Amino acid sequence: MPQTKPKVIGFCCERHGMDAVVLAARSGKQLDASVRLLQVPCTGRVDGLHILKALEDGADAVFVLGCLEKNCYYDTGSIEGRKRVGYVKQMLAELGIEKERVEMFNAASSNSWIFPEIVAKMVDVARKLGPIGGEKR
Amino acid sequence: MKSNIQVLLCKCCTEMPKVINIERLAKLASESGNVLSVMILDGLCDGKELGDVVTEAKMKEIDRAVVLACQKKDVSPAVFKAYKRAGVNPYLVEIINLREEVVLPNASDKDRAQAKAENKLLAALARSRLLQPLERSSEEMKTRNVVIVGGGVAGQAAAREAAKYGVHTIILEKSAKSIIAPGVVMPHATLVGGKGYGGSFELKIKVGESFESLGAASVVIASGGGWTTLKGSLAKAVRGAMPLYEFHQKLLANQIPAGTVVFMDSPDPAGKTLRVQDYAWEETLETALELKKRRPDTAVYVIFQEMRATGLSELAYKEAAEIGVAFIRYDKGATPKVDPKDPAVLTVKDLSYGEVLKIRLGTMVFASIPASQDNLVIAEALRIPMSLDGGIRRGSIQRGPLSTPKPGVFVCGSALFPKSREVAAAEGQAAGKLAGEFAAQGVIEFGGIVAQVTPEKCSACLTCIRTCPYEAPCIGNATKAEIRVQACQGCGMCVGICPSKAIELHHYTDEQLMTESKTLLGGDF
Repeated sequence: MPQTKPKVIGFCCERHGMDAVVLAARSGKQLDASVRLLQVPCTGRVDGLHILKALEDGADAVFVLGCLEKNCYYDTGSIEGRKRVGYVKQMLAELGIEKERVEMFNAASSNSWIFPEIVAKMVDVARKLGPIGGEKR
Repeated sequence: MKSNIQVLLCKCCTEMPKVINIERLAKLASESGNVLSVMILDGLCDGKELGDVVTEAKMKEIDRAVVLACQKKDVSPAVFKAYKRAGVNPYLVEIINLREEVVLPNASDKDRAQAKAENKLLAALARSRLLQPLERSSEEMKTRNVVIVGGGVAGQAAAREAAKYGVHTIILEKSAKSIIAPGVVMPHATLVGGKGYGGSFELKIKVGESFESLGAASVVIASGGGWTTLKGSLAKAVRGAMPLYEFHQKLLANQIPAGTVVFMDSPDPAGKTLRVQDYAWEETLETALELKKRRPDTAVYVIFQEMRATGLSELAYKEAAEIGVAFIRYDKGATPKVDPKDPAVLTVKDLSYGEVLKIRLGTMVFASIPASQDNLVIAEALRIPMSLDGGIRRGSIQRGPLSTPKPGVFVCGSALFPKSREVAAAEGQAAGKLAGEFAAQGVIEFGGIVAQVTPEKCSACLTCIRTCPYEAPCIGNATKAEIRVQACQGCGMCVGICPSKAIELHHYTDEQLMTESKTLLGGDF
């Protein structure tokens, strides 16, 4: 049975990531309301622990949104963030959890179309896969 | 420490009430723990109601606040100022972007928007209770020197502008050419090393054969391009290759040998490192035009992959095409070639018509300016990244177009990527202004959101030192990592990567972030 209200949480860097979110909203894009954003100074701050904890707390999908890799405010921050997400993906695969639930994205502050795409993609993933461990949880 | 929270709900004129029920949000807020005051405002941004907020905050001894409004950037100056009057630490004011995260994108689904807004409010309150007050501190700069590396067009322009801020400008010029610029000009001087942070650099310079140290508040890199070098397979193979700069000088002196002249964008069209350089079109077009005017009977070709004649050089393009300069566009897949047996014949396939042309060359002029060879040394000295083309890579565009990832280090002119003289001069002025302003502040502000090491947990594995782009962590006397707060930018990269979990970022601690995410996931979706 497809889930109607999936839970998606996004760790969003307060530089280009957050600006892309704001620009998407200001350009009048309508989005699914299942996404909650959490602001971090830089995606390099995101720890594997945060993502795993969010999944444990009931998130169906988690994404990390940072600056473009060559235009990161903190130079190498979004590269670090991507490494962290890759590490979590590997861990999830070992645990037998679908690694598509966790994803890293990059956005420039002038890209208004990127955030709606991310939301659509992650909500789609969360709907398709459902809660972790099946319906009973 | 007590936590008396004040919640401000901004209506954003009439936008918020259209989608969410503000009264229900206010009720939810007032029923939550530690919330002493809830205020609904018509509009935060005009600042009219902030007086009432301050009075109320003072009366109820508020020490932290949650503001539900729009983008943090837009509202924070006014809100922080108001709460400063009420004696609230700015780091205890939590601003939630309800307008752009909930109201605008979820307007079509009011029930879920309401649930999301309530959810975000509860998460903000949970986070607010865990926040700690932070203070910023400042340090007097030891020097007001602005060191400019390179005394070319950009460097001289930078020195002139920086000097207007009343700072000492020092130009390091590697040759002995005469430079007319304010401040000190050091001939035969190069930058070889450095340490420190924005406002307090200690540079190591080589003057002649001796090494000296030099203090600097800010640094401008204006190392320029290597004008006269011709690198690239095509330039080596072809007969009569010449850089544009040299050609232009010979043209002015009437020393151009007879025969067909071909202008080309890059001496290495098939290569990866030297990309098509759009800077050069202005100069190329003007030189071609000048040549055609002086010698109308000379055949002039301009061969390019992508032409970017910007601004007024569009007119030069038009005029050149009218008086008979031939423009040939080639494809990246079929780059122009010369026959090794006869290096004076250039074969090029025209992309527009598909014809293969054979041109007998008199002179072949390349417009490319390879980046300066010194960039590698400069980048290593200041530990800033380089671009693939061998130039200095600028930082994020949000820091400004002439800034490097390191605060206090600015870059201009052809050090970034090759440019025309006019653009280099304009960039030099801008970089000089930035560097002058930076040095003229006189104090370095730091602190607030910075990382801190718990020495007991640190195993001195150097991971943080290798990760930090700002060289903030170092190993202290106790063989444990320490953070130099002056250099720390508060990105938290070392915090996320520390294998011992020994580093914590103030304002974004693990506890604060995980409590927020737990509360966000706990509510209705």
